[in-house]
Amino acid sequence: MSTIVVNKEYRDRQKRKDALISLFIGFFALLWIFPLVWTLYSSLRPYVDLEANGVFSFPEHLNLQNYFDAIRRMNLPLYFTNTAIITIPAVVLTLFLGSLMAFVVSRYSFKANVALLLFFTAGNLLPGQLIFIPLFKMYLAIGDAVGDRRFLYDSHWGIILIHVAFQMGFATFVLSSYMKTIPKEISESAMIDGASVFTHYFNIILPLLRPALASLTVLMTTWIYNDFFWALVLTSSDSKRPITSALGRLTGEYVTDYNLLAAGAMIAALPTLIVFFVLRKQFVAGLTLGSTKG
Amino acid sequence: MSVEQNGVSRRTLIKGAALGGIGIAGGATVLSSCGSKASGPMSFGARTVDESPTKQLKGLVAAYEKKSGNKVTYNATESNAFQNNLSQYLQGTPDDAFQWMAGYRMQFFAEQGLLADLSDVWKDLDSQYDNSYKIASTGLDGKQYFVPQSWYPWGLHYRKSMVKELGLDPENIATFDDMLKMFDAMKKKGLVGFAAGDKGGWEAMGTFDIINARLNGYQFHVDLLAGREKWTDQRVIDVFKQWELLLPYTNKNVLDLEWDGAMQLLLQKKAGSTLMGSWFGGNFKEKSQEDYDDLWIVPFPEINPEHGVDTIDAPIDGFCVAANGANVEVGKDFIKFAGDKEGMQAMLDTGIPMTSANKNQDTSTYDAFQKQQLNVMSQAKYITQFLDRDTRPDFAGPVVGPAIQSWYKNPKDVNKIVDSLQAQWEALPEL
Amino acid sequence: MNSTAANKDTSKVSRRRAFSPQDRLTLGAFIGVPTALHLLLVWIPAIATIGLSFTYWTGIHISDIKWAGFANYHNIFFSTPVFWSALKDNVIWLAWFGLIATPLGVLLAYQIDRQIRGHAFFQTAYYIPVVLSLAVTGIIWNFMLRPDGFINGILGKDITNPISFFGDDRWNLYVILVMASWRHIGYIMLLYLAGLKAVDPALREAAALDGATEWETFRKIILPTMRPVNIIVLVITIIESLRAFDIVYIIYGTSGAQVPILGTLVFQNISGEGQSMKGAAYATILFILSIGPIIAYLRQSFKEDVK
Repeated sequence: MSTIVVNKEYRDRQKRKDALISLFIGFFALLWIFPLVWTLYSSLRPYVDLEANGVFSFPEHLNLQNYFDAIRRMNLPLYFTNTAIITIPAVVLTLFLGSLMAFVVSRYSFKANVALLLFFTAGNLLPGQLIFIPLFKMYLAIGDAVGDRRFLYDSHWGIILIHVAFQMGFATFVLSSYMKTIPKEISESAMIDGASVFTHYFNIILPLLRPALASLTVLMTTWIYNDFFWALVLTSSDSKRPITSALGRLTGEYVTDYNLLAAGAMIAALPTLIVFFVLRKQFVAGLTLGSTKG
Repeated sequence: MSVEQNGVSRRTLIKGAALGGIGIAGGATVLSSCGSKASGPMSFGARTVDESPTKQLKGLVAAYEKKSGNKVTYNATESNAFQNNLSQYLQGTPDDAFQWMAGYRMQFFAEQGLLADLSDVWKDLDSQYDNSYKIASTGLDGKQYFVPQSWYPWGLHYRKSMVKELGLDPENIATFDDMLKMFDAMKKKGLVGFAAGDKGGWEAMGTFDIINARLNGYQFHVDLLAGREKWTDQRVIDVFKQWELLLPYTNKNVLDLEWDGAMQLLLQKKAGSTLMGSWFGGNFKEKSQEDYDDLWIVPFPEINPEHGVDTIDAPIDGFCVAANGANVEVGKDFIKFAGDKEGMQAMLDTGIPMTSANKNQDTSTYDAFQKQQLNVMSQAKYITQFLDRDTRPDFAGPVVGPAIQSWYKNPKDVNKIVDSLQAQWEALPEL
Repeated sequence: MNSTAANKDTSKVSRRRAFSPQDRLTLGAFIGVPTALHLLLVWIPAIATIGLSFTYWTGIHISDIKWAGFANYHNIFFSTPVFWSALKDNVIWLAWFGLIATPLGVLLAYQIDRQIRGHAFFQTAYYIPVVLSLAVTGIIWNFMLRPDGFINGILGKDITNPISFFGDDRWNLYVILVMASWRHIGYIMLLYLAGLKAVDPALREAAALDGATEWETFRKIILPTMRPVNIIVLVITIIESLRAFDIVYIIYGTSGAQVPILGTLVFQNISGEGQSMKGAAYATILFILSIGPIIAYLRQSFKEDVK
C-alpha cells in the first residue's frame, strides 16, 4: 500500500518537474530555430521594402518574388542535377562498401578485423586539407595514365570516390555496431545450411540492416550534399559543380540584395531538409554506436 | 634566358621582382607571325560571377565568335574561389584563355611554366598600348604573358552632394589637412568621415600603399615590397602614425566589414568618403542613376610636398592563356582580339562602365565618372598595382593582411607589428 | 553487460571452417576493395603530405621539391606568432565544446529520451541546424549579426555604429563558437540519443523507485552504461575542435587572422597563390594533435572487441 502512495507522490512531483523541463527546453528550441525562421521570413520580403522601412517594419508585401529571382539567376536545374549525380552514387557506394566491411569484421573472425576497423575509423577523422595536394596530383597522374585528364580531376567520379573513401570509415563503424545486435543464430543457421558468403550477406544480413542504413542515409546525404571543399579543389568547370558552390556564387554576386540570398539559401537547404523529414522516424532508431544492448 | 639572371642569385631576383623593380630587356627576336589561322572550339574562364562584368565578358565572347567563327565555352567561377584554386586550375584542365591580373600574380605562374608565351600576340598589340602596360604584362624572362583589359584607380571616393552640403568644394580636396577638415565637418554631422572595411584582410592594403607612397615616395614603396628596405624602418612606422590620424573618423567596425560594407555606408549616405578602387560604379548605378551621377573620385591627397600625388594604385585586369589549355593557339587568337581596340569596343558596347587599357580607345562615350577616373590617373607619374600584386603571394596574403588587421585592433602595437613583419619576410623560403 | 559478453562469444562464427575458394574470393573482395580505396585515397596522400612538410615546394613541379629539413617547422614555431594565437584559439574551442556544447547536447538527449512532452519537436528543432550546409549557415547568421541585421536592429544600433560581432577581438571567437555550437549540440544530441535507446528503461525505473534523484540516476546509471558512446562523443568533440575550419572560412574567408585557428592556417598556406609546404607542416601538426585522441578511441573500441 504505502509504496504505491509514495510512488504516486513521486510521479506527481516528477510530472511537475517534467513540465518545467519541457518549458525550458521548448523555449530554447524556439530560440534555436529562430535564425532560420527569420531568414525564411526575410526571404519573403522584397529588399526595397526593407530598405525603405527598416528591418522591423511591418511587412507590406510578402511574396515569392525573391525565390523566382533566385531560381532564375542561380541556374538551379544544372546545379541540382550535378549534386544528385554526386550525392546519390556517393551515398549508395559508401553504404554498400561500408556494409561489406562491417559484415566481414562482425561476422567472421579474422586477426586483422580490429586493425582494419581502426584504420578505417582513424582515416575518417583526418582533416581533409591534409590530403588534398597529393590527392590532386594523383588524380592528374591517373588521368594522364589513362589518356584523359578529366578521368578523375574535374570529373564527378573523382569527387564521388573521395567522399566514399572518407565516409566509409564512419559507415563501417556504425554498421558493424549494428550488426552485433543481430542475433548470430541467424548467421549460424545460414552457414549450416551451406549458404555461400555472398548469399549470407546479400539475402540474410543486408535486409536486416535497413534501419541502420536509413539513419546513415540521412547523415551521409547531409555531409556529402553540403561539402564544398572537394567540389572546389577538384573541379575546374563550373558546369560540373554542385549546388553548394552555386550558393557561393550568389553570395559573391549579390552583395546588396540579402533577401535574394536568403531565398537562395532556403532553396539550397530544401533537399537535405526533405531527406531528414522523410526518414526522421527511422533516423535515431537505426543508429547504433557500440552500444551495449544485447 | 634573360640577361638579368647573370650573377644575380635566384632569391634576390625573385624577391626583387615587384613591379617597377625590374628592367625588362625588350629585345625579343622578331619573327614573322605564324601564318596559319587558329580555329576550333575553345573555352574562356571568367573569374567573376557578378552580373555587370559577366554581361561585359559575354559581349566580348559573342563578338569574337562572330568574327572568328570559333565556338567559345564560357566558364565562370566566383572570384575568391577562383583565386584560391588557381594553382590547381592551371595545372589541371584550365580554360584556354582566362581572366587574371598583371604584376607579381601573373609573373609567378609564368615562371612556373603554366602560362603561354604571348610575345607574338604583343607584336600585333604593341602599337596600341603604352609601354607601362607592356611592362606590367611581362614576366621575369622578358616575355609577355598577359594582355590588359581594363584598370581602375584607387582613390578617395565621395558623393559630390554631401561635400557641397558641408560647404566645401568637392573638386578641391588637395592636401591631407583639407581631407581632415572635411572629415571633421562630417563627424560633426554624425557621419563616418572615412569608411573602411578590412574583414577580407586585403582591403586596407590600399590605404597602406597610398600613405606610404605619399609620405615616403614611390621608390621606397617599391623597394619595401621587394625586400630592399626593411619593414622596421622608421618610415614604415611613420606610415602607421599618419594612418592613425584617420582612425577618429573611421567606423569602429572595420574588421566586421568587407569592401562592400564600406561601400554601403557611402551608398546610404552614412559615410562621407571611402578609399577604394573605382570598380563599384555599377553598384551605385543599380540603385539609381542619380546615385551614380553623385559619385566622385579624387586622388588621395598630398602628404609630403616632395612626392605630391605622383603615385597611384591602379591594378590592371586582363587575360592570360593557359599553357595546359586544350587549344593554346585559339586561346591566343582570342586574347589578341580581346586586347585589340575592336574587342575592347565590344565590351564597352555592352554599356557596362569600364576604363579601357587600350590607348587608341575612343573615350568620347565615357561618362563623367569615367572621365574623372582618367583624370585622376593622369595626375600620377608612377603606377603601382596593389600590395597583393606587388609582392610575394606567400607574404601579402598570409602575413601583411593579418598584420594590418592586428594594427587596426591595437594601433599602439605598431613596433611589435613591424618587427614581426620583417621577421616573417626573412623567414620566407627561397622560391 | 553480462549478457552482452555472452552474446559476443557467439556473435562471430568462431569455429574454424574451410571456406570454399569462391567464398574466399568473395571475402577477399569484400575487404579488399574498400581497403584499397581507403588506403589509396586517404592514407597514402596523408603520409605524402607529412613527407612534403619537410620540403620547400610550390606544389607545381615535382622536380622542384627541395629538402628543407625542419625549416618549415622552425618557421612556424619561431617566426609565426599567429601560430600560437591559433593554438590558443583551438584550446579555447576545445574547452568550450568540451565543457559547454557537448554536455548540453548530452543533457538534451537525456531529457528527450525520457519522452518528456514535446520531445519529438525538440529533437527536430535541435537537429535542423546540423542538416544545413555551411554556406546556408553563414547566410543565416549574417542575417542575425550584420551591422543592419536582427540583433543590431533590436538593440537600436545605427549602421554607422553597430556592435562589431565579427570584428571585435573581445568576443568574435565566442560569436563563432556560438555559431559552431548551433550545429555541434544537435549532432552530439543525436549520437547520444542513439546510444541511450540501448539503455534498459527498467534500470531507470528501478533507480526512481529507490528514490534516486534525476541527477543521481544520470550519473550512476546512465553514464556508466553509456561508456562506449561517451568515448565516441568525447573523441568527436576533440577532433571537431581541432580540425574546425568550415565555419571560420565561411565568415572570414581565407584571411582568417581575426579568429586564427589551425584549420585556416593549413588552408591559407596550402592553397591559393601563397602555396607552400608550410601549409603541409601545419597539417602535420594538426595530424599529430588529432592522432592522440584517435588512438585513445581506437584502444577503447579494441577493448570492446576483445571482450
